[in-house]
Amino acid sequence: MNVLKQFKNGILFAVCLLFSQQLLAQQERPLVKGLVQDTLGKALIGVSVRAINQSTQKSFQASTTEQGLFQFASIPSGGPYDFVFSYVGFVPDTLRNYQVVPGKQITLNVKLKEEPMGLGEVVIVGYGTSSKREITGAITSVSSEEFNTGVFSTPSQLLQGKVAGLNITRSGNPNEKPAVVLRGPSTLRTGSQEPFYVIDGVPGASIDLIAPDDIASIDVLKDAASTAIYGSRAANGVIMVTTKKAKGGATRLSYSTYVAAEQISNTIDMLSGEELRSYLSENGKTASTDDGSNTDWQDEVSRTGISHNHNLSFSGSGEKSSYGASVNYLNNQGIIKGSSLERFIARGYMEQRAFNDRLKLNLNITNSNTNGKLIPEEVYSNMLTYLPTVAVRQPDGSYSEDFSVTRGYLNPVSLIDNNEIDQKTKLFLASGGAKVTILEGLDFTTNVSYQDERIDSNIYYNRLSGLAQNVNGRVIRNTVTNTKKIIESFFNYDQTFGEHGLKLLAGYSWQEDRLGDGFQTTNQGFVTDELSYNNPGLGDPDEGVAVDYGNKRIQTLRLISFYGRANYQFQNKYLFQASLRRDGSSAFGTNNKWGLFPAASIGWLIDREDFMQGLPAISSLKLRAGYGVSGNSAGFNVFTSRLLYASTGRFYYDGKFINAIGPFQNANPDLKWERTSTTNIGLDFGLFNNRLSGSIDVYDKRTSDLLWTYPVSATQYFVPLLTANAGEMSNKGIELSLQATPIDHNGFSWTTAINLAHNKNKMTSLSNNNFELPLIQTAFLGGRGQSGNASQRVQEGYALGSIYTWRYAGKNEDGVSQFYDKDGNLTIAPTSDDFYYIGNAQPKLTYGWNNTIKYKGFDLNFFLRGVMGNKIINGTLADMNAPNNATQTNIPRFTLDEQEPINDNNAYFMSDRFVESGAYLRLDNATLGYTFKTNNRTFRAYLGANNLFVITNYRGIDPEVSMGGVEPGVDNRNYYPKTRSFMLGLNVNF
Amino acid sequence: MKKIYILSTLIVIMATSCTKLDVPVESELTPENFPNTPESFVAATGPVFTQLRSSFAVNYWRMQELSSDEAIIPARDGNYDDGGQYRMLHKHSWNPDHPTIKAVWEWGFGGIQTCNRLLSLFESAEESDSKKQTVAEIRTMRALFYFFMMDLYGNVPISASFGSSEQPATSSRAEVFAFIESELVATAPDLSAEIGQLTYGRPTRWLAYVILQKLYLNAEYYTGTPRYTESVAYGDRILSESNLSLVSDFTSLFLPTNGPNSETIFAVPYDANLATGNQFSRFGLHTALQNKYKLPFRPSIALSTIADFYKIFNLAGDERNNTWLAGKQVDFNGNPILVATTNKGLDASYSGPNPNQEINWQLDFTPEMPLRSAATMDVGNDELGKARGVRSIKYYPDENTNPSSRDSNNDVPVFRLADVYLMKAEAILRGAAVTSVNGEMQTAETLVNKIRIRAGAPEVNSITLDELLTERGREFAWEAWRRNDLIRFGKFEGVWGFNPGGQPATYRIYPIPTSEMLLNTKLVQNPGY
Repeated sequence: MNVLKQFKNGILFAVCLLFSQQLLAQQERPLVKGLVQDTLGKALIGVSVRAINQSTQKSFQASTTEQGLFQFASIPSGGPYDFVFSYVGFVPDTLRNYQVVPGKQITLNVKLKEEPMGLGEVVIVGYGTSSKREITGAITSVSSEEFNTGVFSTPSQLLQGKVAGLNITRSGNPNEKPAVVLRGPSTLRTGSQEPFYVIDGVPGASIDLIAPDDIASIDVLKDAASTAIYGSRAANGVIMVTTKKAKGGATRLSYSTYVAAEQISNTIDMLSGEELRSYLSENGKTASTDDGSNTDWQDEVSRTGISHNHNLSFSGSGEKSSYGASVNYLNNQGIIKGSSLERFIARGYMEQRAFNDRLKLNLNITNSNTNGKLIPEEVYSNMLTYLPTVAVRQPDGSYSEDFSVTRGYLNPVSLIDNNEIDQKTKLFLASGGAKVTILEGLDFTTNVSYQDERIDSNIYYNRLSGLAQNVNGRVIRNTVTNTKKIIESFFNYDQTFGEHGLKLLAGYSWQEDRLGDGFQTTNQGFVTDELSYNNPGLGDPDEGVAVDYGNKRIQTLRLISFYGRANYQFQNKYLFQASLRRDGSSAFGTNNKWGLFPAASIGWLIDREDFMQGLPAISSLKLRAGYGVSGNSAGFNVFTSRLLYASTGRFYYDGKFINAIGPFQNANPDLKWERTSTTNIGLDFGLFNNRLSGSIDVYDKRTSDLLWTYPVSATQYFVPLLTANAGEMSNKGIELSLQATPIDHNGFSWTTAINLAHNKNKMTSLSNNNFELPLIQTAFLGGRGQSGNASQRVQEGYALGSIYTWRYAGKNEDGVSQFYDKDGNLTIAPTSDDFYYIGNAQPKLTYGWNNTIKYKGFDLNFFLRGVMGNKIINGTLADMNAPNNATQTNIPRFTLDEQEPINDNNAYFMSDRFVESGAYLRLDNATLGYTFKTNNRTFRAYLGANNLFVITNYRGIDPEVSMGGVEPGVDNRNYYPKTRSFMLGLNVNF
Repeated sequence: MKKIYILSTLIVIMATSCTKLDVPVESELTPENFPNTPESFVAATGPVFTQLRSSFAVNYWRMQELSSDEAIIPARDGNYDDGGQYRMLHKHSWNPDHPTIKAVWEWGFGGIQTCNRLLSLFESAEESDSKKQTVAEIRTMRALFYFFMMDLYGNVPISASFGSSEQPATSSRAEVFAFIESELVATAPDLSAEIGQLTYGRPTRWLAYVILQKLYLNAEYYTGTPRYTESVAYGDRILSESNLSLVSDFTSLFLPTNGPNSETIFAVPYDANLATGNQFSRFGLHTALQNKYKLPFRPSIALSTIADFYKIFNLAGDERNNTWLAGKQVDFNGNPILVATTNKGLDASYSGPNPNQEINWQLDFTPEMPLRSAATMDVGNDELGKARGVRSIKYYPDENTNPSSRDSNNDVPVFRLADVYLMKAEAILRGAAVTSVNGEMQTAETLVNKIRIRAGAPEVNSITLDELLTERGREFAWEAWRRNDLIRFGKFEGVWGFNPGGQPATYRIYPIPTSEMLLNTKLVQNPGY
């Protein structure tokens, strides 16, 4: 039997599953064969060809090979047959009325036309792909040509400003991950606002694994109709990352590189040593330390950071297999001395096809090593406020330090030089899978992935460190391993029956994450700094100093899911989609182990209606509407729902201090995911042969079962706090994106794209029947004498990030700042009862505007983006505006400009005086490139600049303040400055 | 097609068998695996003691001391204003939203609840003598927490069982009094009578008795019924039945190296690194004292006493006078402690010639604290302002303080034998009969003189109640009893420092925190709030 013979050569990829193959194997001369090409004559691989016998209604399936060839070997004679050619991204074609007669070969040659621009793109949806035309949800696809360019250490930076509704904020710190919020915040938990990442089909894979150069496209799934297939993890949106893969044909080799120089883009105008000296002496004071110096501390700690990136990749594709590999090296020097990031990524993949392409096996391996060098946060405030009258070093070479002034007043250069904070991250991801075509149109896919992450954190505060005074050097080392195992198995069925198209998906996924497996050790008391953190055993701590073993807990999370989706289309005009996912998680309480996440959506391709044919100006028009439910279980401690014991500290017992073990967390058997339901209505349109196209989306996103840690009565519970689902929040918004090619003539083209997003966030409720809270106070800025004061509130009826602070009422007759109390009277001793609502941190509008001009080999791109309508709490400025303390900490020019009396010891109180508009417009990027092509070789060189200018009234370093977490829009003495960079890059493809 | 059916069936079977969500618990103790050994039962009782120490020496102490004439934290150019929380305590102008009032309520009932939880845990353990003693210890600790709560908040809910979904309602102060009394009377026989390392920082029979003595001494104020005779009776049981005796060196009781001794009945043991929460060295000194006391950190200037209280340390030869730093400061060699500053830096209001002239000023702690801003009770932050207020070194500055957390090693006594003596003396002055102990007829004067002699102060021939209050001030300064004493003596509404006095009796008990009223609707706010 031939079947058996073929099986001998087959490779079985089996994990907890069995599969079988049904093969059609006839070795006769095919009766029908042919070639499918695109309009340029390039062979199309994998085109689905279906033969439908009109009299018997039986159908037969074939697909094209590497050469674009197809054949029907065993098609029964008779007919008439219709042959339907369909391929993602191309307009389907049908050849009708062929009679199949034995012995008479039919040859069909077809050229498929590409779908009109924008609508033919392949979009990665959960567990499959789709053409943009068939999409019924809100999905934005960004291809690598549209990515931002710059010195990027995380892929989300590629998208900043490019996707309507995706608000990304980041400072200039190479080790800081951007805060990413899609369509407004929908959780109160810090660190749980990030979208869910799916990398090449691996759900929840680490985004740090991927070098920006290796990414082919990113699809942002925004509404629940699209995301619900990812269930309890999808409420923040899903970002699907697709890496570059080998393409048909010859082997390819490419190298891309850039070198960039980055500088601090803006500084705060602080007084020089001379200016401070004269200001103080005018007021009869002197600086607490003055060695005659004139030190510009911002200048002392910053530098021009030189960064470079190299990416070498090669790939090849043969008849039965394709492969590729790439290595990427990034060295990103921070603009603050001592901070840097170095990353090495190696990646390889391979695909093998067998049995007439009916079995496809693939293996992907990625390894990423990152070395981050961090600097202590105290640098950011001290580089502003450390006295300019003090030299960096004393004549004897020692660092100028005065630990007697106030805690936290530390020489910023010494902070950088005498504290080593290194973080090493090793990430490994292997995924392998098999795809079996069981029948024509029915595929079974199974993927197994394993991700291993190890994070080593090594800190040494040396003998001179102001952060560990009088301990003679302190080492803190810890290491944590996090692993993920994922098995995904699913069936796809795709069939067309005349005017009816049907796609079905059914799958199962099993995932186990084992997080936090690690430990910490500490030691102190070193005789020399020579060994840094490398030999903690040599420390001699003072008696009684205990090793801090940290609080590393192993958290095992198991997530099991069943999911299904059905797409139905009629006449290529009416689209329906419904999906359902059932998620079970070990993190949820015993009463809520399993959750259901349904979604449904419809689409109407209006332009294909007959009545539209008389409107040639409208080249495409689609209406979409969908509703779905997704969840947020990010950041769930796997034991959040359980009663746990831990050390509550040590107590005296018979001469020793021993561990007391008691409950530290209440059980909550009702604990579950946060539930977000989204209604989305969208319109996609293309005009004038798609010279102008765009989308409008309107959404209503409602999150319920918000998690918060509620105070509970100490008479009923073990501990007075309980993490529970109670609150509700809503985000409503509108997004508009437009793309146009105003000029495309004689090799000169200008394309432009603009996106606008408006979102209105509102806390609908903080309470339910069981848990009640009038408001949550946040943003405790800890300014002088104000450590108990919050500056923001989470409150029903208001947006997240609502600013509540004092209202400034000018100075009194003594020159002391006064404020309105709650009754509107003036006071110089305001209390927390006197806070007023000032505004909120949520932007009313975020926008991006991209332009590409091409002429022959030249291309020029410039990209502007910005936000409007948001408020920033400028805690940095408030805290620096302390004229009465100018003898001890430097003051900004603001203090002089405002003519603050030196005796005003209320000048630094946080008030509406320091709540500022955060609106800005930034020229984020400008790139000029030249491309030279010859014999399949491309060569591109470019010059780029980032952050060339910012137009803003904000008085801080930069208005792009983190919008993540429960305290958005707060600039509080912890801001790593933004960078301005200039880069020179080169891409070569062979 | 058949094969597909087989395949599908297999997948379905596999999928349904792979729906187990139970994951192993590898690094956590849960009720399934804890406690299960004798040592783990000991560890399980620990949270009662860690809870006690967590807030005793800072937040609880502040409620009992900053509201009295013994201690003050003024603002200094806006520093230490912290929303006005310290001046509200000083001026008796707090409200139910005060952060410390909230924190201490949560602390106290957290302790009570921990005891209740442990009692239900031990219910299932096998009967034994050690179980009997452990249960008695936990009930005594619960009574102690209840005593603190009743003393501070007056009318509080009695929650004697754990896990009831029924919220406990407010009980009257008299009911809480009776509950504490009956618990202590019931448990005392099962408690250890040993004094020493094994029982240090833990409840003994003497702790039960001394709480009862204190309870009865205050009974007239707490419940309206005087119980001075019972107070004396429990004092006498301690004096006659225990091996307790006064230590000869008063100051040794509060040293960083203090520990088990013959006088301390119950203390909260602290350790700079392992059992944190003593921050006296952190808050109550001055930057310029860092070298003198070899402190590994820069002490803050916040906490001091006021002139009115410092005045009572006026007895010749009294060792207790040495627990204060007042006036011009010198190091151990007698050399002046100098602060390098300028004329203007010393005194921000300086308007004479050469304001910027560098001067060396000898650190001088002034009992008087002239205010720069009355509204915010601010004494300024120039060198004069920083040195306003007499500092305490009773909890002697600890050179082994943890430099980053600024926690020290001094254990903080709660009950000492000295208090037994002075309480007995007071009860006698308030009408109880003089009794004899071990053949000694103990009059109020005899008892006060025991304290005086130990301190090296002159003996008294007679003593009045007012003088006894003064003596208690000298003996127990900063030991968290002053508010209780002032109220019992009817002097809590007096005028001292910047406290205008004359407040209504409402302020003798603190309000129930607003947050707690929201959580338990059965609570009734104290009258007047």
